Amino acid sequence: MLACTIGDVSLEVLARREVEQARSFPICYSCSMSTIEGIPPDVARVDVDDKRAIVDIDAGLYPVEALYAAAYVFIDRCYVLLDRPEPTKLRIILTPKDLDGDVQLRDVVGQLANELVSAAWRHQITQENRARIESVTMQAISGAMGPPTLDDLEDFDFTDEAFEDPLGIAMSWEEKYVKKSEGEEE
Amino acid sequence: MTARRFHRDLYRGAAVDEAIKVYARFATITPVEEDAYWVVEIEASSPARENQIADELGNYALGLTIRSRAAP
Repeated sequence: MLACTIGDVSLEVLARREVEQARSFPICYSCSMSTIEGIPPDVARVDVDDKRAIVDIDAGLYPVEALYAAAYVFIDRCYVLLDRPEPTKLRIILTPKDLDGDVQLRDVVGQLANELVSAAWRHQITQENRARIESVTMQAISGAMGPPTLDDLEDFDFTDEAFEDPLGIAMSWEEKYVKKSEGEEE
Repeated sequence: MTARRFHRDLYRGAAVDEAIKVYARFATITPVEEDAYWVVEIEASSPARENQIADELGNYALGLTIRSRAAP
């Protein structure tokens, strides 16, 4: 029997490669895909046959750090695979380790969506407060460096006021109230 | 044979290599480099076993990637 070949590769080998590629490719647009109520199919869907949930997110809305943070939450109960099918799109594929049913897959998608929002928000707060956090950390580190040396004290300018006290917190009780009451008497 | 593709933007090569080392005793694992992906080909005694090893390897590589990014 003549074996059909393309180049040096037989058709059988090519067909097997196609199947393997299809298996390894993260998404298979087959009829086993099921949409999730309330979520557009191009955002999230459930692959019933492979028992996995596929969620696509906009890379402009969610930073990669948020993606990692959300994915890490699921790593103990799901197999997590991340992908970037397009430069502007990130994909998370979750396969629960112990699957109870289709409902669980939908729950996982909802939990992931919530976790993504939470992680993105935490990331934004961290970014906004980065300067403050660095400042406080630097103060703590400089404080931990120990007392100043004699040379430092010698260079220190003691002529200025130690600090401003507009609310009079550093004043003694007598200064603050007794003198005031004397003034009122006058 | 089962293959897993790990995007280079999202997975560190060192993490994938480390994961391959850890799971090499359970299957024959061959790393292949593509332009945008680290590809890992896994051969084991059965397709189900290959899939399980691929899934576990993926989680391990992801965990190492996240941990290495979090480290200063």
